[in-house]
Amino acid sequence: MPAAVRLALNQLQRDRILVPVWILGIALLGFATASAVSSEFGEVGERQAIVAVAAANPAFLFLRGVPDGFGIGAVVFFQGFAFTALLAGLMSTLLVVRHTRTDEELGRAELIGSTPLRRTAPLAATLLVGGAANLVLAGCVAVGYIAAGLPAAGSVTAGLAVAAVGLFFVPVAAVVAQLMPSGHSANGAAASLVGAAYLLRGVGDAIGTPNADLTQVMSSWVSLLSPIGWGQRSRPFSAADTMPLLVLAVAAATVAAVVLITRNRRDLGASLLPERVGRSHGRLRSFVGLAWVLQRPILIGWCVGAAVMGGLAGGLGPVIADAVAGNTSLKELIGRLVPGSSADIVDVFTAALIGIAGVLAAAAGIQGVLRLRAEETEGRAELLLTVPKSRTNWLVANLMLAIASATVVAGVAGAAAAVGIFLTGTAGTPAIQLIAASLAHVPAAAIFIAAPAVIFAAIPRLSVPIGWGLLAGGLVLGQFGELLGLPEWLQAVSPFHHSPAMPVESFDPGSALVMGIVALGGGAIAAYLIQHRDLTG
Amino acid sequence: MADTTDPIIEVRGLGKVFGKTRALDGLDLSVAAGEVHGFLGPNGAGKSTTLRILLGLIRPSSGTATVFGADPWREPVRSHQDLAYVPGDVSLWPNLSGGEVIDLLTGLRGGADTALRRRLIDAFEFDPRRKTRTYSKGNRQKVALIAAFARPARLYVLDEPSSGLDPIMESVFRSEIGRVHDDGATVLLSSHILSEVEQLCDRVTIIRAGRVVESGSLTALRHLKRTHFRVEGVDGRVLANLPGIQDVRVDGLTTEFEVEAATLPLVLEGVAAARPTGLTVSPPSLESLFLRHYAEPSSANDGAGEDRAGRVD
Ligand SMILES: Nc1ncnc2c1ncn2[C@@H]1O[C@H](COP(=O)(O)OP(=O)(O)OP(=O)(O)O)[C@@H](O)[C@H]1O
Ligand SMILES: [Mg+2]
Repeated sequence: MPAAVRLALNQLQRDRILVPVWILGIALLGFATASAVSSEFGEVGERQAIVAVAAANPAFLFLRGVPDGFGIGAVVFFQGFAFTALLAGLMSTLLVVRHTRTDEELGRAELIGSTPLRRTAPLAATLLVGGAANLVLAGCVAVGYIAAGLPAAGSVTAGLAVAAVGLFFVPVAAVVAQLMPSGHSANGAAASLVGAAYLLRGVGDAIGTPNADLTQVMSSWVSLLSPIGWGQRSRPFSAADTMPLLVLAVAAATVAAVVLITRNRRDLGASLLPERVGRSHGRLRSFVGLAWVLQRPILIGWCVGAAVMGGLAGGLGPVIADAVAGNTSLKELIGRLVPGSSADIVDVFTAALIGIAGVLAAAAGIQGVLRLRAEETEGRAELLLTVPKSRTNWLVANLMLAIASATVVAGVAGAAAAVGIFLTGTAGTPAIQLIAASLAHVPAAAIFIAAPAVIFAAIPRLSVPIGWGLLAGGLVLGQFGELLGLPEWLQAVSPFHHSPAMPVESFDPGSALVMGIVALGGGAIAAYLIQHRDLTG
Repeated sequence: MADTTDPIIEVRGLGKVFGKTRALDGLDLSVAAGEVHGFLGPNGAGKSTTLRILLGLIRPSSGTATVFGADPWREPVRSHQDLAYVPGDVSLWPNLSGGEVIDLLTGLRGGADTALRRRLIDAFEFDPRRKTRTYSKGNRQKVALIAAFARPARLYVLDEPSSGLDPIMESVFRSEIGRVHDDGATVLLSSHILSEVEQLCDRVTIIRAGRVVESGSLTALRHLKRTHFRVEGVDGRVLANLPGIQDVRVDGLTTEFEVEAATLPLVLEGVAAARPTGLTVSPPSLESLFLRHYAEPSSANDGAGEDRAGRVD
């Protein structure tokens, strides 16, 4: 058996739970979307209406993608593809970084590097694992669609489209892993690329041209700067075309070849960023100070993401206003479909994007809290917790900083939205209201941040999967809850459901207060529990 | 307030179970104020586990532990007030420089003694400006050692502190232990380096499979040990009948054997009576004692587990 295959089997064994969870989760989301569209929009007329609304509404195009006719399959693909492809990309980048830079950073790669194998064998194995995972993903997504009653041929193409995007990010993440010095920074950078692919596609789709009867939208060239845009071009349920998917596969193969060559020339452990000398004396004297220094680079990353999101929310507003101006029947249709019936379409768009900025804010905080777990497993907590300060102090310092991070990220999103509006030179929502709209998501985000703190204190082993899993669950409920026709109580499980979608809705101090108390209670429970368990290695 | 004659560390019947592994099984340990106490045992014997319990990082399954008269699990802050720790595996923050980590750790304990810090950095020939990501194993160890010694403490808990140090750095480390010992501090030192233990420690405790197999002052331990005899010019068969001799090896007219302290006078008479042409008597080596304790099964239920820890049934 070739060495790379043997290493690949070893890596697959380490991934035997995580990757199946990702694949089945994505396939299940596809199945649920397809079933929901079949039952909610069973009538052709209903589908025609929703497609027409979407086609004329850049906010929809930005978030979902371009509609491509009103067959059930086409509507499913339009509603779900971009988000599904985003998930596939994240699955790939996390998988690749886990087996490359993280292994190198933690010294595991050195053991393998000492065996009589080619230097590129571990990387080649990871690329194989990534390819295999995406192949299985293609199959599972196709099966999910077929099981929900979509045409078989289109389902297979759709599965391949999702997997092609995932496949593209396998070697891309490998390149990032060569350049970045640590697993965390590589994960951050690679995930940002996936996010950028989603946003670029969103911009390209939002400024695309709808056809006369509003059944289709031709995305602009900007979408083709994004692999998700290429995947979308395969149009599985109308004029199926696998050419764009081949383009993605060839691009992936090329990047893979390049990265294998780079790996062969690079020292183990070396990164593109040179090591600089640091200070000989430190000013850190407290848990909060340490948490701040460790959180700073992460926070900057999330702030950039939030600024892009907010900037788009503000800057694209006028484009959207133009698109709907003068089309009163359309306005009426949108009013019926979107909660808050009299809402201004620009406000709806702004609220939706600011809602996503709320998710980014929560993610920044979750990452801050989960650092506690990394400190523990990587053995640094043992050094920290033998000083005359309590564990509660340690946990609370990190938790406070995490919530502060979320507040900063949300504030940046709101401020960027205001700047976006200012730059377009139109009179939109006042800056102060935009910032308030963003900050209104902080109480919900705080619950998502307190939850992993409680899990960390109670069942540390599960804190990372549960922490991110809860956020993913909240995101899916928020993005797909309405569409999937999920019962109100289930949607209400997600704290984001209780955040006011300002400026469409008005601020609700009651729910903000309740969420704040829940988060505070979670923090108190975590602070109590952390004193009562063994520190694990 | 605790009397100065009270032990700094007092452990009674300590037990710790991890899932199915019994890491500690009724361990007793007492460390008096001002002593340097060696803590030895084969891999997986439970040394690090004991130290972690003493630091309040993990909770004992049974038994009691007190540090400075406080239960470290219930009152970690109080028991850490005057304590410095060097862990067995030193893991640092890759983005911080060595100097920043040293100042962070001493800062959390109340701040470093700047003169001491400077002197230690010189003595250990340590470059505090580099990011810890780029340090070698020995340099990472130095970060933890400098952080521990740069602020005076009353108790030093050290888990294999000199692992990875070169011989010169090892001697710097030994002189630091000497210094804090002279200042009256207490040291609990887990180590696999027997010469280090022999040179530094007043008393030692040897554990196996989570239980104490030997404890006492080094001088007392020497009495328990066997003296090595090498006798020349005598027929081995004559000597083999001497009372209480062990491990007899005969090679022509040269005979080697071991003698327990109790039978030493009798054996000396017997050897003298045999009229040897040459005689070498070696002082009892600690190493032979340790090796004996490490290798012997300590009790009937001691399984052949790879890490020599007991099993819970
Ligand atoms: N967190 C844990 N979970 C499960 N088993 C553990 C854990 N920590 C220690 N053990 C087990 O407890 C036993 C004692 O381990 P410990 O680390 O205390 O040994 P040690 O004497 O320090 O060994 P070494 O000389 O190798 O450092 C070993 O069998 C080890 O595998
Ligand atoms: Mg140990």
